[in-house]
Order: sequence, then C-alpha cells, then structure tokens
Amino acid sequence: MTAVPALEVTGLTVRFAGLTALDAVDFRVAPGTVHAVIGPNGAGKSTCFNVLSGVYRAASGSVRLGDEELTGLPPHRIAALGVARTFQNLALPPTATVADSLLLGRHRLTRTGFVAAGLRLPSALREERRHRERVREIAQFVGLGDALDRPAGSLPYGAQKLAELARALCMEPSLLLLDEPVAGMTADERRRTAAVIAGVRDSLGISIVLVEHDMGVVMRLADTVTVLDFGRRIADGTPAAVQNDPAVVRAYLGEDAEEPS
Amino acid sequence: MSDAPGTTVVAGRGAPPAKTALRPAWPPRPRTYLWIAGSVLLLALPFYLDRFWLQAGLFAMAAAIGAIGINMLTGSTGQLSMGHAFFLAVGAYGYCAFAGDGGDELTGLGLPTAVAAVLAVALAGLAGGLFSPIAGRLRGAYLGIATLALIFIGQHVLFNAHDLTGGFNGRDVPPLNILGFRFDDSELVVAAIPFGSAEKLWYAGLVLLAGCALFARGVLRGRPGRAMNVIRDHRIAAGVMGVPVARYRAAAFVLSSMYAGLAGVLLALVFQRTVPDYFGMVLSLEYLAMIVIGGLGSVAGAVVGAAFVSLLPQVLTRYSDALPLVAESGTGGVAPGEAARYLYGAAVVAVVLFLPGGLIRLVTRRTAPPKHPDKPTPGTPGPSGEER
Ligand SMILES: Nc1ncnc2c1ncn2[C@@H]1O[C@H](COP(=O)(O)OP(=O)(O)OP(=O)(O)O)[C@@H](O)[C@H]1O
Ligand SMILES: [Mg+2]
Repeated sequence: MTAVPALEVTGLTVRFAGLTALDAVDFRVAPGTVHAVIGPNGAGKSTCFNVLSGVYRAASGSVRLGDEELTGLPPHRIAALGVARTFQNLALPPTATVADSLLLGRHRLTRTGFVAAGLRLPSALREERRHRERVREIAQFVGLGDALDRPAGSLPYGAQKLAELARALCMEPSLLLLDEPVAGMTADERRRTAAVIAGVRDSLGISIVLVEHDMGVVMRLADTVTVLDFGRRIADGTPAAVQNDPAVVRAYLGEDAEEPS
Repeated sequence: MSDAPGTTVVAGRGAPPAKTALRPAWPPRPRTYLWIAGSVLLLALPFYLDRFWLQAGLFAMAAAIGAIGINMLTGSTGQLSMGHAFFLAVGAYGYCAFAGDGGDELTGLGLPTAVAAVLAVALAGLAGGLFSPIAGRLRGAYLGIATLALIFIGQHVLFNAHDLTGGFNGRDVPPLNILGFRFDDSELVVAAIPFGSAEKLWYAGLVLLAGCALFARGVLRGRPGRAMNVIRDHRIAAGVMGVPVARYRAAAFVLSSMYAGLAGVLLALVFQRTVPDYFGMVLSLEYLAMIVIGGLGSVAGAVVGAAFVSLLPQVLTRYSDALPLVAESGTGGVAPGEAARYLYGAAVVAVVLFLPGGLIRLVTRRTAPPKHPDKPTPGTPGPSGEER
C-alpha cells in the first residue's frame, strides 16, 4: 500500500427490474479522507457499496480506483486491489472463532494452497504463524484481543460488528467501505467504534467511505459528505454545508438531521 | 511488501504482551493416552478378529475416506453432491482397468498396481474437475439434482460398456502389489497368525485413512478451509474478502472426488470384485447419511459417521439371530441390510432434530473450553442499543 489511490465515481446508475436504485451518482473520495454517504432508508447507499465491491453490476457509469476501473471486475479481483468492506447485516460465520474470521481477512495476503495446508509444509506453518500475530495486533487495536479464541456468534452484537470491522482491516485495505458500522450498538460501543475508525484514518492514512444513519458519528468523522435520496445525489460537500442544505432537510422530511433516523 | 506484519495500525493503546498459555508437553493430556490406546488397539485387531470383522472394518475405513471427501465438499463448502458414488466407481473401475492384465478379455493396461491406484485416484479427480464447471453454475438443490445425473450416466456406462467394466457381472480386481509385497491370500504367517488379504489390507487401510484424515484436517484448519467455510456461510462475503469463489468450489469438487476415488480403490481391493449395482444412488445417499450423522464439516465426524453407517448392517447380519424382528433375508423378518437402513434413516432424523452438529458433538462438547461466565452464551445476541 504505497500510495493510497483516489476513488472516483461518475454517472453510476443501477437498475433493478423497473427500479432505479442509483441514478447517475457522482462523488470523489480524496486519498486518506473519510467520506460519508448518507440518506434516508432505501436511498441506495448499500447498493452503491455493492457496486463498489463488485457484488452488483452497474447499468452504466464508472468507478475508478486510481488507474483501475472497478465496474466489471469480480469481487475477489476488487478485493485484490485493496478494497475491503463490512456489511450492513453481519456476514460473520457464527461458529468460527474470531481469530479464524480475522485470518480469513488475510486471504488475499497469503498464499498457502491445498497441498501446502494439507501436508502442513513449513512454508504454510510459517505463514500462518506470521499472520496470526498480525491478526492479534489488529484484534487488540479494535479491543477484541481477549475474544480471539471465542466463536464469533457468542459475542454481543456490537462486538460482532467490531469483529467484522477488524476482519476488513486485516485485509490491509487502501479503501475501506463501512456500511452502518455503529448500527445496533450501545452508546458505549458507538463511542469505541468511532474511536477505532478515527484511529484507522489517523494511523493508516487509508480512504474510508462511511454509510451511517448516526449523524453524530458522521459529523464527527467525515471530511466530506454525499447525500442520496431515491438513488439521486441531492447534496455533496463538507458536513456543515450539507447539514444546512435545504434539499437535505427536505429529504429527511423535516426531521432534525441531528437525530439518527 | 504490504502484508508484512507490524505495519503500524496500533495507535496508542499499548498492546499487552500476548498471553501464550502454552501447556507443558509433559505429562501428556488424557486425550493423548486415548489416541495411543486406540492406535494400539487398531494395530492389534488383525491378530484377534476373524475375516468377517476385518472386512467389515476395511469397509468402514474405505467409507471413512470417502466420507471425509464428501464432507469437505458438502459439509465444509456447502455444495450438495448426490454423485459421490460415481466417483467411487471411477476409482474402483479405473484401478481395475489400469492394473488389469487383459487376461479376462477386459480392457487392462497391465500397469504396476501401485501406479494403477495412484492413476485411478487422479482419474477420479479429473472426472470431478470436468464436472466442476457445471457445479460452479448451480447451487443447493439444483446442484444436488445435477450430480444425480452422474449416477445415471455412471450406471448406464457400468452396465453397458462390457469391454471396460464387465457389464452386470463386474470384473475381478487385481490384488495390490507394492514392490513385491502382495496384498492377497498368499501365505504369510506373523506371530503364528496366517495373514491373508484382509489382514494385510487392514494395515494399508489404516495408513491410507490416517493420511487422508490428517491431510483433510490440515486443509480444513488452514487457509483453504477458511475460504471453503465462508463460501458455505456467506458466499457474497467470500468474494468480497478476496476468495475466488468459483475456483475454490472447483477445487473442493476435485479434492472430494479424489477421496472418493481412493475409497473406491480400497473397496475394490477388499471386495476383490467390482459390480455395478453397488455404485448406485443408495450408496450416494449413504455417504450423505454418514456426514449428517457424524457431523457436517468435521473430519472426525465423517469417520464416526462412516463407521456407524457401514458397520451397522454387518452387526445386524452377524447377530440377526439374537435380535427381534431381524432375520436372514428371505425368511420373513426384516433383512439385516434393510433393518440397518431403517436404523440409520432414523438416526439421520434424530441427529437433525436433536443433535445438530452430529455424533461428534457428543465428544467435543465435553472437552470444549468453559464459556466465559460474564458474557452471553451463543443464541442470545442481545443488541441492547438496537434502533431500527
Ligand atoms: N438485489 C436487489 N433487488 C431488487 N431491489 C433491490 C436490491 N437491492 C436493493 N434494492 C432496492 O434498491 C433500493 C436501495 O436499496 P439500498 O439497500 O441500497 O438502500 P440503503 O440506502 O442502503 O437503505 P438502508 O438505509 O435501509 O440500508 C431499495 O428500494 C431496495 O429495495
Ligand atoms: Mg443499506
């Protein structure tokens, strides 16, 4: 991860049988910044992540990460370029230990194949040991150092979300996509998670795209904000500017934008 | 290198030294004693058991190898296969064709038997590889149905390609001969016990099973196993984590087919004759029953399930006189094979209802580390601050 590349989304359009989930959306994430994508339920935020990570195909438009065009690449090729994400609804195997889940994050950085793993070749053992070490560091960084040997499903919901964040960090990404990282968390867990995200930005200098309904967290962390409504971009700018944008206030139907929806 | 551990992510929060609670290597834990006792028992059995039980044990070993294979595919990667029996047939008949000397008018390349065994396993893997593009496109029940087609094709070929398979009557299996040591009934006396094919194959079977089990364990506990499990649990997340899903699904198919092929070779050597009837749909279902009963996704579970499903009919056959309702086939009662099928059918239902995780759970549950008392137990995911 020498230089963190910029993410450039232009004219991104996604359609599902008659429904335009994203309609010519543009935004740019400068290297090393936190960019929030917000909007009411069903605005197309998760759909946007699904295109960025290769899960959904775009009808048109382009997503460029540095010199690479991401639309059309399969998910594992996008992951190989250093894009990591978390899911709005947990995608963490409940019976696997936290350590194993985090090691899965190391998949793209490791090489051990079937033969080497089956025969327990020294290269495989060495690689495993090295990466377990790194996994332990990252787990401690997010505050899950003591939970490594426990099944992920046995952790409280907030800790599971943190484990998923840690798994994404284990990919050593240059672009991190977080889909509602604090949803369903207690106030205490929210504070901790926000601190972790701030820590990632400060110490790793990677780009983060953050989808979140908790405006407190968004205002605290984001450098820039894009607001979506019914798949359209209705505002884009600094948190303060966006917050006072009449279109945004209208989109939230007069709700106080300070409150989580 | 970007993946070098130690690239700083740790901001503040001085990392406490990892607590490495290494237990001393001596004295060994009770488990080790159990393993040693079990191994000694297995090694000594040929001196005490008669041919019937040795053969039954060998069937169980071959079944265990096959079950480990299908468990990596269905249990660990989540790809339902009803075609396992097809790959067993490829192994069994492949061995005969590679090793046969053509003396029985059937196609035979006359290769050294050890080479033939290796080639038969490779052939089964190749067959799995050829099928994997189809498997890559289908999921769940659809894949199960597609693999069922393999059984029908296999049965058709086995019954009709006379020159290769011997048709309905099957073909003789050339005994294994490794560097002049023949695994047949030629005279060999060890400690006053005459060693026939069953006794000799017993040790070959043990070595093969141990090797296969250890290899599978290494795969499942290592990087490939983690990728396979996430494909089963969260297929979309798997791709996003950088796992090339199609490639891993194909690899799991090839590996599982090779295990089936080896199981087929061993079965053929024990039977000393291969017949097409054996490799039908019932066999495929038996393999699925084994891994469900023993424990999906676990090597030990596959072995336990294989032992249960393949030894049950033998036990019932041997003790049919003493059991109520069970009788010699054709005498009015329930035939032992049939009774066994009822029993493990019931076992499948019972396990699915009352023991998800299979019989192996009975063992691992006892030795599992105690739960943290201060944290909620699994199954109570209380998101206390849930908002929506
Ligand atoms: N796979 C799909 N098939 C059909 N429609 C979909 C699919 N995925 C999303 N949609 C639709 O696209 C629209 C945008 O959904 P999306 O999940 O992106 O919203 P969101 O902004 O993430 O909302 P939330 O805040 O509730 O998570 C919704 O109307 C949704 O129903
Ligand atoms: Mg969403």
